[in-house]
Amino acid sequence: MISARNPMKDKVAIAAAATTGFTAQNTERSQLSLGAEACIKAIRACGLTASDTDGICGSAVPAAAMQSALGIPEVTWFANPSIPFGNQIAAAAAAVHAGLAEVVLAYHTPYRLPWNTSGALKDPFRRGGMTMPGAGAVPETVAGVAGYTAWAARYLHEYDARREHFGYVAINDRSNAARNPAAAMRAPLDMDDYLAARMIRWPLSMLDMDVAVDGADAFIITTPERARDMALPPVLIQAVVLGMIDRNEEDQTPGLHRHGQHVVVEALKARSDFWTDGMDLFFPYDGFSFITLAWIESVGLCGPGEAGGFIEANWDQAAKRILIDGHIPVNPHGGSLSEGGSQGSGHVREAVHQLQGLAGERQVEGARTALLTPGGFFFNAQGLTLRRA
Amino acid sequence: MVTDEALSAVFKGHSIDRDNVAHFRGRLERRLLINRCIDCGVWRHPPRPICSSCWSSRLEPTPVAGTGTIHLAIFLHQGPPAEGVDYATPYPVVTVELDEQPGLRFTSSVVGAPNETIAIGRRVRLDWIERAGTPLPVFRLAEGAGQ
Ligand SMILES: [Zn+2]
Repeated sequence: MISARNPMKDKVAIAAAATTGFTAQNTERSQLSLGAEACIKAIRACGLTASDTDGICGSAVPAAAMQSALGIPEVTWFANPSIPFGNQIAAAAAAVHAGLAEVVLAYHTPYRLPWNTSGALKDPFRRGGMTMPGAGAVPETVAGVAGYTAWAARYLHEYDARREHFGYVAINDRSNAARNPAAAMRAPLDMDDYLAARMIRWPLSMLDMDVAVDGADAFIITTPERARDMALPPVLIQAVVLGMIDRNEEDQTPGLHRHGQHVVVEALKARSDFWTDGMDLFFPYDGFSFITLAWIESVGLCGPGEAGGFIEANWDQAAKRILIDGHIPVNPHGGSLSEGGSQGSGHVREAVHQLQGLAGERQVEGARTALLTPGGFFFNAQGLTLRRA
Repeated sequence: MVTDEALSAVFKGHSIDRDNVAHFRGRLERRLLINRCIDCGVWRHPPRPICSSCWSSRLEPTPVAGTGTIHLAIFLHQGPPAEGVDYATPYPVVTVELDEQPGLRFTSSVVGAPNETIAIGRRVRLDWIERAGTPLPVFRLAEGAGQ
Protein backbone atom coordinates (compact mmCIF):
# COMPACT_ATOMS: atom_id res chain seq x y z
CA MET A 1 0.00 0.00 0.00
CA ILE A 2 1.37 3.39 -0.95
CA SER A 3 0.18 6.41 1.03
CA ALA A 4 0.38 10.06 0.01
CA ARG A 5 0.44 11.14 3.66
CA ASN A 6 3.41 13.42 4.34
CA PRO A 7 3.14 15.41 7.57
CA MET A 8 6.90 16.05 7.48
CA LYS A 9 6.67 17.98 4.20
CA ASP A 10 8.94 21.06 4.30
CA LYS A 11 9.19 20.76 8.10
CA VAL A 12 12.83 19.67 8.18
CA ALA A 13 15.79 21.51 6.70
CA ILE A 14 19.31 20.68 5.61
CA ALA A 15 21.30 23.63 6.95
CA ALA A 16 24.69 22.74 5.51
CA ALA A 17 26.63 20.14 3.53
CA ALA A 18 30.39 19.64 3.49
CA THR A 19 32.92 17.27 1.96
CA THR A 20 36.57 16.33 2.22
CA GLY A 21 36.64 15.81 -1.53
CA PHE A 22 37.23 12.33 -2.95
CA THR A 23 40.31 10.52 -4.19
CA ALA A 24 40.59 7.17 -5.98
CA GLN A 25 43.69 6.24 -4.01
CA ASN A 26 44.29 4.76 -0.59
CA THR A 27 44.84 7.74 1.68
CA GLU A 28 46.92 7.26 4.81
CA ARG A 29 43.85 8.14 6.86
CA SER A 30 41.08 6.24 8.62
CA GLN A 31 37.37 6.46 7.85
CA LEU A 32 36.93 8.21 11.19
CA SER A 33 39.55 10.81 10.29
CA LEU A 34 37.88 11.62 6.97
CA GLY A 35 34.42 11.59 8.51
CA ALA A 36 35.42 13.85 11.37
CA GLU A 37 36.91 16.36 8.92
CA ALA A 38 33.67 16.56 6.95
CA CYS A 39 31.61 16.80 10.17
CA ILE A 40 33.69 19.67 11.53
CA LYS A 41 33.35 21.50 8.21
CA ALA A 42 29.57 21.08 8.23
CA ILE A 43 29.21 22.21 11.85
CA ARG A 44 31.42 25.25 11.22
CA ALA A 45 29.58 26.12 8.00
CA CYS A 46 26.45 26.60 10.12
CA GLY A 47 28.27 28.75 12.66
CA LEU A 48 27.73 26.05 15.30
CA THR A 49 29.96 24.22 17.76
CA ALA A 50 30.03 20.60 18.94
CA SER A 51 27.69 21.33 21.85
CA ASP A 52 24.94 22.58 19.51
CA THR A 53 24.53 19.06 18.08
CA ASP A 54 22.13 16.67 19.83
CA GLY A 55 21.78 13.88 17.27
CA ILE A 56 24.19 11.81 15.14
CA CYS A 57 23.35 9.64 12.17
CA GLY A 58 26.06 7.99 10.09
CA SER A 59 27.06 5.06 7.96
CA ALA A 60 30.00 2.69 8.52
CA VAL A 61 31.69 4.62 11.31
CA PRO A 62 29.61 4.03 14.45
CA ALA A 63 27.80 7.11 15.77
CA ALA A 64 29.38 6.44 19.15
CA ALA A 65 32.89 6.64 17.68
CA MET A 66 32.07 9.85 15.83
CA GLN A 67 30.53 11.50 18.89
CA SER A 68 33.56 10.58 20.98
CA ALA A 69 36.03 11.79 18.34
CA LEU A 70 34.26 15.12 17.94
CA GLY A 71 33.72 15.60 21.66
CA ILE A 72 30.02 16.26 21.31
CA PRO A 73 28.98 16.57 24.96
CA GLU A 74 25.62 14.84 24.71
CA VAL A 75 23.18 13.49 22.14
CA THR A 76 19.59 12.36 22.66
CA TRP A 77 19.34 10.33 19.43
CA PHE A 78 21.74 8.42 17.19
CA ALA A 79 21.57 5.79 14.46
CA ASN A 80 23.66 3.94 11.88
CA PRO A 81 21.29 3.01 9.05
CA SER A 82 22.66 1.07 6.09
CA ILE A 83 23.52 2.88 2.87
CA PRO A 84 22.60 4.36 0.34
CA PHE A 85 22.49 7.77 1.96
CA GLY A 86 18.76 8.29 1.54
CA ASN A 87 18.51 6.12 4.65
CA GLN A 88 20.53 8.58 6.72
CA ILE A 89 18.51 11.52 5.42
CA ALA A 90 15.22 9.75 6.14
CA ALA A 91 16.26 8.72 9.65
CA ALA A 92 17.67 12.12 10.57
CA ALA A 93 14.71 14.03 9.14
CA ALA A 94 12.21 11.83 10.93
CA ALA A 95 14.13 12.22 14.18
CA VAL A 96 14.11 16.01 13.87
CA HIS A 97 10.44 16.10 12.92
CA ALA A 98 9.49 13.82 15.81
CA GLY A 99 11.54 15.81 18.30
CA LEU A 100 14.03 13.05 19.13
CA ALA A 101 16.78 15.54 18.35
CA GLU A 102 16.87 19.11 17.09
CA VAL A 103 20.25 19.46 15.36
CA VAL A 104 21.43 16.22 13.74
CA LEU A 105 24.87 15.64 12.29
CA ALA A 106 24.59 13.14 9.40
CA TYR A 107 27.69 11.72 7.72
CA HIS A 108 28.96 9.12 5.28
CA THR A 109 32.51 7.91 4.80
CA PRO A 110 33.10 6.23 1.42
CA TYR A 111 36.28 4.21 1.79
CA ARG A 112 38.37 1.95 -0.40
CA LEU A 113 37.90 -1.56 0.99
CA PRO A 114 38.56 -5.08 -0.30
CA TRP A 115 34.92 -5.54 -1.42
CA ASN A 116 35.02 -2.54 -3.77
CA THR A 117 38.66 -2.48 -4.87
CA SER A 118 41.40 -5.07 -4.70
CA GLY A 119 43.83 -2.15 -4.36
CA ALA A 120 42.66 -1.83 -0.76
CA LEU A 121 44.42 -5.10 0.04
CA LYS A 122 47.77 -3.33 -0.31
CA ASP A 123 47.00 -1.42 2.88
CA PRO A 124 47.22 -3.58 6.04
CA PHE A 125 44.77 -1.27 7.81
CA ARG A 126 42.05 -1.90 5.23
CA ARG A 127 42.09 -5.68 4.99
CA GLY A 128 39.43 -6.17 7.65
CA GLY A 129 36.95 -3.65 6.31
CA MET A 130 33.29 -4.18 5.65
CA THR A 131 32.22 -6.92 3.28
CA MET A 132 29.13 -7.22 1.15
CA PRO A 133 27.10 -10.05 2.71
CA GLY A 134 26.15 -12.98 0.53
CA ALA A 135 27.90 -11.64 -2.50
CA GLY A 136 30.93 -12.56 -4.49
CA ALA A 137 32.03 -15.64 -2.56
CA VAL A 138 31.15 -18.03 -5.41
CA PRO A 139 30.97 -17.12 -9.11
CA GLU A 140 27.49 -18.56 -9.70
CA THR A 141 25.41 -15.72 -8.31
CA VAL A 142 23.90 -12.42 -9.36
CA ALA A 143 23.64 -11.24 -5.75
CA GLY A 144 25.52 -8.09 -4.83
CA VAL A 145 27.69 -6.38 -7.42
CA ALA A 146 26.61 -8.66 -10.31
CA GLY A 147 22.91 -7.87 -9.87
CA TYR A 148 22.79 -4.70 -11.95
CA THR A 149 25.00 -6.29 -14.58
CA ALA A 150 22.47 -9.08 -14.93
CA TRP A 151 19.53 -6.72 -15.36
CA ALA A 152 21.60 -4.53 -17.70
CA ALA A 153 21.95 -7.61 -19.90
CA ARG A 154 18.21 -8.15 -19.71
CA TYR A 155 17.69 -4.48 -20.68
CA LEU A 156 19.81 -4.94 -23.81
CA HIS A 157 17.77 -8.05 -24.60
CA GLU A 158 14.31 -6.57 -24.09
CA TYR A 159 14.80 -3.20 -25.73
CA ASP A 160 16.45 -1.58 -28.68
CA ALA A 161 19.30 -0.48 -26.43
CA ARG A 162 23.07 -0.58 -26.93
CA ARG A 163 26.13 -0.41 -24.68
CA GLU A 164 26.65 3.13 -26.01
CA HIS A 165 23.57 4.12 -24.02
CA PHE A 166 25.37 3.10 -20.82
CA GLY A 167 28.36 5.03 -22.16
CA TYR A 168 26.41 8.31 -22.27
CA VAL A 169 25.98 8.09 -18.50
CA ALA A 170 29.72 7.59 -17.96
CA ILE A 171 30.63 10.44 -20.33
CA ASN A 172 28.05 12.79 -18.77
CA ASP A 173 29.45 12.14 -15.30
CA ARG A 174 33.03 12.64 -16.43
CA SER A 175 32.29 15.89 -18.25
CA ASN A 176 30.52 17.21 -15.15
CA ALA A 177 33.33 16.10 -12.83
CA ALA A 178 35.77 18.23 -14.81
CA ARG A 179 34.12 21.24 -13.14
CA ASN A 180 34.20 19.73 -9.65
CA PRO A 181 37.44 20.09 -7.67
CA ALA A 182 36.14 17.47 -5.18
CA ALA A 183 35.88 14.79 -7.89
CA ALA A 184 38.24 11.82 -8.10
CA MET A 185 38.14 11.30 -11.90
CA ARG A 186 38.36 14.44 -14.04
CA ALA A 187 40.23 13.48 -17.21
CA PRO A 188 38.02 13.83 -20.31
CA LEU A 189 36.25 10.73 -21.59
CA ASP A 190 34.73 9.99 -24.99
CA MET A 191 32.76 7.10 -26.47
CA ASP A 192 35.85 5.42 -27.90
CA ASP A 193 37.41 5.38 -24.42
CA TYR A 194 34.20 4.00 -23.01
CA LEU A 195 33.92 1.19 -25.53
CA ALA A 196 37.60 0.28 -25.09
CA ALA A 197 37.41 0.04 -21.29
CA ARG A 198 38.25 -3.25 -19.61
CA MET A 199 35.24 -5.53 -19.39
CA ILE A 200 34.53 -6.72 -15.84
CA ARG A 201 31.26 -8.60 -16.17
CA TRP A 202 29.73 -8.42 -19.62
CA PRO A 203 27.90 -6.21 -20.49
CA LEU A 204 29.42 -3.79 -17.97
CA SER A 205 33.02 -2.58 -17.91
CA MET A 206 35.25 -0.61 -15.53
CA LEU A 207 33.64 2.65 -16.67
CA ASP A 208 30.11 1.43 -15.87
CA MET A 209 30.98 0.95 -12.19
CA ASP A 210 31.37 3.60 -9.51
CA VAL A 211 34.91 4.49 -8.58
CA ALA A 212 36.08 3.38 -5.14
CA VAL A 213 37.21 6.43 -3.20
CA ASP A 214 38.36 7.73 0.14
CA GLY A 215 36.48 10.74 1.43
CA ALA A 216 33.51 11.86 3.48
CA ASP A 217 30.40 14.02 3.35
CA ALA A 218 28.57 15.54 6.28
CA PHE A 219 25.32 17.42 6.78
CA ILE A 220 23.47 19.38 9.43
CA ILE A 221 19.77 18.53 9.55
CA THR A 222 17.47 20.58 11.75
CA THR A 223 14.17 22.43 11.90
CA PRO A 224 13.55 25.22 9.36
CA GLU A 225 13.32 27.66 12.29
CA ARG A 226 16.77 26.76 13.61
CA ALA A 227 18.21 26.64 10.08
CA ARG A 228 17.05 30.18 9.37
CA ASP A 229 19.25 31.41 12.23
CA MET A 230 22.30 29.65 10.81
CA ALA A 231 24.78 30.93 8.27
CA LEU A 232 23.46 29.44 5.00
CA PRO A 233 20.10 29.38 3.19
CA PRO A 234 18.03 26.41 4.42
CA VAL A 235 17.14 23.61 2.01
CA LEU A 236 13.79 22.01 2.85
CA ILE A 237 13.20 18.27 2.68
CA GLN A 238 9.91 18.00 0.88
CA ALA A 239 9.60 14.22 0.80
CA VAL A 240 11.75 11.15 1.22
CA VAL A 241 10.94 7.57 0.27
CA LEU A 242 12.73 4.26 0.75
CA GLY A 243 11.05 1.89 -1.70
CA MET A 244 11.07 -1.90 -1.83
CA ILE A 245 8.92 -4.74 -3.13
CA ASP A 246 8.51 -8.24 -1.77
CA ARG A 247 10.58 -10.20 -4.26
CA ASN A 248 13.66 -8.03 -3.78
CA GLU A 249 16.37 -10.65 -4.31
CA GLU A 250 18.46 -9.80 -7.36
CA ASP A 251 17.54 -12.94 -9.33
CA GLN A 252 13.91 -13.17 -8.19
CA THR A 253 12.79 -9.58 -8.71
CA PRO A 254 9.86 -9.56 -11.15
CA GLY A 255 11.47 -7.53 -13.92
CA LEU A 256 12.48 -4.22 -15.41
CA HIS A 257 8.83 -3.16 -15.17
CA ARG A 258 8.53 -3.85 -11.43
CA HIS A 259 11.10 -3.23 -8.70
CA GLY A 260 11.85 -0.78 -5.89
CA GLN A 261 12.11 2.24 -8.18
CA HIS A 262 8.44 2.01 -9.10
CA VAL A 263 7.41 2.19 -5.45
CA VAL A 264 9.70 5.19 -4.91
CA VAL A 265 8.30 7.07 -7.88
CA GLU A 266 4.66 6.49 -7.00
CA ALA A 267 5.13 7.51 -3.35
CA LEU A 268 7.53 10.40 -3.93
CA LYS A 269 5.31 11.89 -6.63
CA ALA A 270 2.27 11.68 -4.36
CA ARG A 271 4.12 13.34 -1.46
CA SER A 272 5.85 16.16 -3.37
CA ASP A 273 4.63 19.47 -4.84
CA PHE A 274 6.78 19.15 -7.94
CA TRP A 275 7.94 16.44 -10.30
CA THR A 276 10.16 16.34 -13.38
CA ASP A 277 8.41 19.28 -15.07
CA GLY A 278 9.16 21.42 -12.00
CA MET A 279 12.69 20.28 -11.21
CA ASP A 280 15.78 22.43 -11.72
CA LEU A 281 18.23 19.63 -10.93
CA PHE A 282 18.12 15.86 -11.37
CA PHE A 283 20.26 13.34 -9.46
CA PRO A 284 19.48 9.81 -10.66
CA TYR A 285 21.73 7.24 -8.99
CA ASP A 286 24.66 5.98 -11.04
CA GLY A 287 26.52 3.43 -8.92
CA PHE A 288 26.23 1.42 -12.14
CA SER A 289 25.62 3.35 -15.37
CA PHE A 290 22.57 1.23 -16.18
CA ILE A 291 20.79 2.34 -12.99
CA THR A 292 20.66 5.90 -14.35
CA LEU A 293 18.88 4.76 -17.51
CA ALA A 294 16.37 2.90 -15.34
CA TRP A 295 15.71 5.96 -13.15
CA ILE A 296 15.27 8.22 -16.21
CA GLU A 297 12.57 5.83 -17.37
CA SER A 298 11.05 5.16 -13.94
CA VAL A 299 10.50 8.85 -13.15
CA GLY A 300 8.68 9.14 -16.47
CA LEU A 301 11.02 11.30 -18.54
CA CYS A 302 10.55 8.70 -21.30
CA GLY A 303 9.10 5.24 -21.78
CA PRO A 304 10.65 1.87 -20.92
CA GLY A 305 13.78 1.21 -22.97
CA GLU A 306 13.86 4.77 -24.31
CA ALA A 307 16.47 6.35 -22.01
CA GLY A 308 19.22 6.14 -24.64
CA GLY A 309 17.11 8.06 -27.12
CA PHE A 310 16.06 10.52 -24.41
CA ILE A 311 19.70 11.26 -23.62
CA GLU A 312 20.53 11.70 -27.31
CA ALA A 313 17.67 14.19 -27.63
CA ASN A 314 18.91 16.13 -24.56
CA TRP A 315 22.65 15.94 -25.20
CA ASP A 316 24.80 19.07 -25.16
CA GLN A 317 27.33 18.11 -27.80
CA ALA A 318 29.80 20.89 -26.99
CA ALA A 319 29.90 20.10 -23.28
CA LYS A 320 29.51 16.30 -23.78
CA ARG A 321 26.80 16.10 -21.15
CA ILE A 322 23.07 15.80 -20.61
CA LEU A 323 21.05 19.02 -20.34
CA ILE A 324 17.39 18.16 -20.08
CA ASP A 325 15.36 20.68 -22.08
CA GLY A 326 18.63 22.53 -22.58
CA HIS A 327 18.98 23.61 -18.93
CA ILE A 328 18.68 20.79 -16.37
CA PRO A 329 22.00 19.04 -15.71
CA VAL A 330 22.10 15.44 -14.52
CA ASN A 331 24.46 14.71 -11.62
CA PRO A 332 26.34 17.99 -12.18
CA HIS A 333 29.03 17.03 -9.63
CA GLY A 334 30.08 13.99 -11.68
CA GLY A 335 28.12 11.37 -9.76
CA SER A 336 29.29 8.00 -8.52
CA LEU A 337 31.13 7.19 -11.75
CA SER A 338 33.43 10.22 -11.69
CA GLU A 339 33.16 12.25 -8.50
CA GLY A 340 33.36 8.99 -6.59
CA GLY A 341 31.22 6.17 -5.26
CA SER A 342 29.56 7.83 -2.28
CA GLN A 343 26.39 5.72 -2.19
CA GLY A 344 24.32 8.86 -2.65
CA SER A 345 25.90 11.27 -0.17
CA GLY A 346 27.67 13.15 -2.98
CA HIS A 347 24.37 13.54 -4.81
CA VAL A 348 22.67 14.99 -1.74
CA ARG A 349 25.62 17.28 -0.95
CA GLU A 350 25.72 18.66 -4.50
CA ALA A 351 21.95 19.21 -4.49
CA VAL A 352 22.22 21.14 -1.22
CA HIS A 353 25.11 23.25 -2.52
CA GLN A 354 23.26 23.99 -5.77
CA LEU A 355 20.11 25.02 -3.89
CA GLN A 356 22.21 27.21 -1.57
CA GLY A 357 23.99 28.84 -4.52
CA LEU A 358 27.36 27.42 -3.44
CA ALA A 359 28.16 25.20 -6.44
CA GLY A 360 30.84 27.42 -7.96
CA GLU A 361 31.33 27.06 -11.69
CA ARG A 362 28.75 24.25 -11.72
CA GLN A 363 26.04 26.52 -10.32
CA VAL A 364 22.67 26.26 -12.05
CA GLU A 365 21.41 29.83 -11.97
CA GLY A 366 18.43 30.29 -9.67
CA ALA A 367 18.02 26.57 -8.90
CA ARG A 368 15.13 26.07 -6.49
CA THR A 369 14.17 22.39 -6.71
CA ALA A 370 15.99 19.08 -6.93
CA LEU A 371 14.77 15.55 -7.57
CA LEU A 372 17.11 12.89 -6.23
CA THR A 373 16.79 9.15 -6.66
CA PRO A 374 19.61 7.47 -4.73
CA GLY A 375 20.11 3.71 -4.98
CA GLY A 376 19.14 0.97 -7.39
CA PHE A 377 16.36 -1.61 -7.67
CA PHE A 378 16.35 -4.28 -5.03
CA PHE A 379 16.64 -3.21 -1.38
CA ASN A 380 18.02 0.25 -1.93
CA ALA A 381 15.72 2.32 -4.19
CA GLN A 382 15.23 5.75 -2.65
CA GLY A 383 13.80 9.13 -3.55
CA LEU A 384 14.18 12.62 -2.19
CA THR A 385 12.70 15.97 -3.18
CA LEU A 386 14.46 19.09 -1.97
CA ARG A 387 13.63 22.75 -2.41
CA ARG A 388 15.18 26.01 -1.43
CA ALA A 389 13.25 27.66 1.41
CA MET B 1 26.14 -38.38 6.37
CA VAL B 2 27.73 -34.93 6.47
CA THR B 3 27.31 -33.33 9.88
CA ASP B 4 25.83 -29.84 10.25
CA GLU B 5 29.24 -28.84 11.55
CA ALA B 6 30.91 -29.91 8.30
CA LEU B 7 28.38 -28.39 5.88
CA SER B 8 29.90 -24.92 5.82
CA ALA B 9 33.28 -26.36 4.87
CA VAL B 10 31.69 -28.49 2.13
CA PHE B 11 29.77 -25.51 0.68
CA LYS B 12 32.51 -22.93 0.91
CA GLY B 13 31.28 -19.45 0.01
CA HIS B 14 27.66 -20.17 0.92
CA SER B 15 26.12 -19.24 4.20
CA ILE B 16 24.20 -22.26 5.45
CA ASP B 17 21.42 -21.74 7.97
CA ARG B 18 18.31 -23.47 9.34
CA ASP B 19 16.21 -22.16 6.48
CA ASN B 20 18.35 -23.35 3.57
CA VAL B 21 20.06 -26.43 4.98
CA ALA B 22 17.65 -28.84 3.25
CA HIS B 23 18.46 -27.25 -0.12
CA PHE B 24 22.18 -27.81 0.40
CA ARG B 25 21.74 -31.33 1.73
CA GLY B 26 19.78 -32.03 -1.46
CA ARG B 27 22.74 -30.95 -3.52
CA LEU B 28 24.88 -33.64 -1.87
CA GLU B 29 22.48 -36.19 -3.42
CA ARG B 30 22.40 -34.31 -6.74
CA ARG B 31 18.81 -33.27 -6.16
CA LEU B 32 17.86 -29.61 -6.77
CA LEU B 33 15.33 -28.94 -4.00
CA ILE B 34 13.21 -25.79 -4.06
CA ASN B 35 10.76 -24.92 -1.28
CA ARG B 36 7.11 -25.53 -2.12
CA CYS B 37 4.22 -24.71 0.16
CA ILE B 38 2.20 -27.77 1.15
CA ASP B 39 -0.89 -25.63 1.78
CA CYS B 40 -1.07 -23.39 -1.29
CA GLY B 41 1.39 -24.99 -3.71
CA VAL B 42 3.47 -21.86 -4.37
CA TRP B 43 7.20 -22.35 -5.02
CA ARG B 44 9.68 -19.86 -3.66
CA HIS B 45 13.46 -19.47 -3.79
CA PRO B 46 15.71 -18.74 -1.93
CA PRO B 47 14.42 -20.80 0.99
CA ARG B 48 12.47 -18.92 3.65
CA PRO B 49 10.96 -20.24 6.89
CA ILE B 50 7.38 -19.42 5.86
CA CYS B 51 5.35 -19.29 2.67
CA SER B 52 5.19 -15.63 1.70
CA SER B 53 1.90 -16.22 -0.14
CA CYS B 54 -0.17 -17.83 2.66
CA TRP B 55 2.12 -17.67 5.73
CA SER B 56 2.05 -21.42 6.18
CA SER B 57 5.19 -22.85 7.74
CA ARG B 58 4.55 -26.22 6.08
CA LEU B 59 7.17 -26.04 3.36
CA GLU B 60 8.44 -29.03 1.43
CA PRO B 61 11.88 -28.91 -0.18
CA THR B 62 10.80 -30.43 -3.50
CA PRO B 63 12.85 -31.61 -6.49
CA VAL B 64 12.33 -29.55 -9.65
CA ALA B 65 12.46 -30.92 -13.18
CA GLY B 66 15.45 -28.71 -13.92
CA THR B 67 14.12 -27.45 -17.23
CA GLY B 68 13.72 -23.76 -17.90
CA THR B 69 14.64 -20.69 -19.90
CA ILE B 70 17.61 -18.35 -19.46
CA HIS B 71 16.25 -15.08 -18.06
CA LEU B 72 19.50 -13.28 -17.19
CA ALA B 73 22.96 -13.96 -18.62
CA ILE B 74 26.28 -12.32 -17.85
CA PHE B 75 29.90 -13.26 -18.48
CA LEU B 76 32.48 -12.75 -15.76
CA HIS B 77 35.88 -11.52 -16.93
CA GLN B 78 37.02 -11.68 -13.33
CA GLY B 79 35.58 -13.12 -10.15
CA PRO B 80 36.19 -15.07 -6.99
CA PRO B 81 38.62 -17.99 -7.20
CA ALA B 82 36.80 -21.29 -7.75
CA GLU B 83 38.06 -24.71 -8.78
CA GLY B 84 37.52 -25.29 -12.50
CA VAL B 85 36.80 -21.65 -13.28
CA ASP B 86 39.30 -19.82 -15.47
CA TYR B 87 38.18 -16.29 -16.28
CA ALA B 88 40.50 -16.17 -19.32
CA THR B 89 37.41 -17.38 -21.10
CA PRO B 90 34.64 -15.22 -19.61
CA TYR B 91 32.62 -17.37 -17.23
CA PRO B 92 28.88 -17.50 -17.92
CA VAL B 93 26.46 -16.93 -15.04
CA VAL B 94 22.79 -17.41 -15.84
CA THR B 95 19.54 -17.00 -13.98
CA VAL B 96 17.12 -19.60 -15.26
CA GLU B 97 13.36 -19.26 -15.00
CA LEU B 98 12.24 -22.76 -14.03
CA ASP B 99 9.25 -24.35 -15.73
CA GLU B 100 7.52 -25.06 -12.41
CA GLN B 101 6.24 -21.49 -11.93
CA PRO B 102 6.53 -18.09 -13.66
CA GLY B 103 9.15 -15.95 -11.90
CA LEU B 104 10.71 -18.90 -10.02
CA ARG B 105 14.41 -18.63 -10.80
CA PHE B 106 17.66 -20.37 -10.01
CA THR B 107 21.12 -18.98 -10.72
CA SER B 108 24.15 -20.99 -11.78
CA SER B 109 26.39 -21.46 -14.82
CA VAL B 110 26.07 -23.10 -18.23
CA VAL B 111 28.54 -25.84 -19.12
CA GLY B 112 29.38 -27.53 -22.41
CA ALA B 113 28.49 -24.65 -24.71
CA PRO B 114 30.54 -21.86 -26.32
CA ASN B 115 29.74 -18.45 -24.82
CA GLU B 116 28.30 -17.08 -28.07
CA THR B 117 25.52 -19.67 -27.91
CA ILE B 118 24.53 -18.81 -24.33
CA ALA B 119 21.83 -16.15 -24.44
CA ILE B 120 18.68 -14.93 -22.77
CA GLY B 121 15.74 -16.93 -24.10
CA ARG B 122 17.63 -20.20 -24.64
CA ARG B 123 16.09 -23.35 -23.17
CA VAL B 124 18.23 -25.27 -20.69
CA ARG B 125 18.20 -28.39 -18.54
CA LEU B 126 19.81 -29.11 -15.18
CA ASP B 127 22.99 -31.14 -14.91
CA TRP B 128 25.53 -31.73 -12.15
CA ILE B 129 29.28 -31.28 -12.05
CA GLU B 130 31.68 -31.44 -9.10
CA ARG B 131 33.68 -28.65 -7.55
CA ALA B 132 36.29 -29.72 -5.04
CA GLY B 133 34.41 -33.00 -4.67
CA THR B 134 31.03 -31.35 -3.98
CA PRO B 135 28.14 -31.61 -6.46
CA LEU B 136 27.30 -28.29 -8.16
CA PRO B 137 24.01 -27.80 -10.05
CA VAL B 138 24.62 -26.28 -13.51
CA PHE B 139 22.75 -26.02 -16.78
CA ARG B 140 23.26 -27.32 -20.30
CA LEU B 141 21.65 -25.82 -23.37
CA ALA B 142 18.70 -27.92 -24.51
CA GLU B 143 19.03 -29.35 -28.03
CA GLY B 144 18.02 -27.06 -30.83
CA ALA B 145 15.48 -24.98 -28.92
CA GLY B 146 15.51 -21.16 -29.07
CA GLN B 147 13.36 -18.45 -27.45
ZN1 LIG C 1 1.51 -21.11 0.91
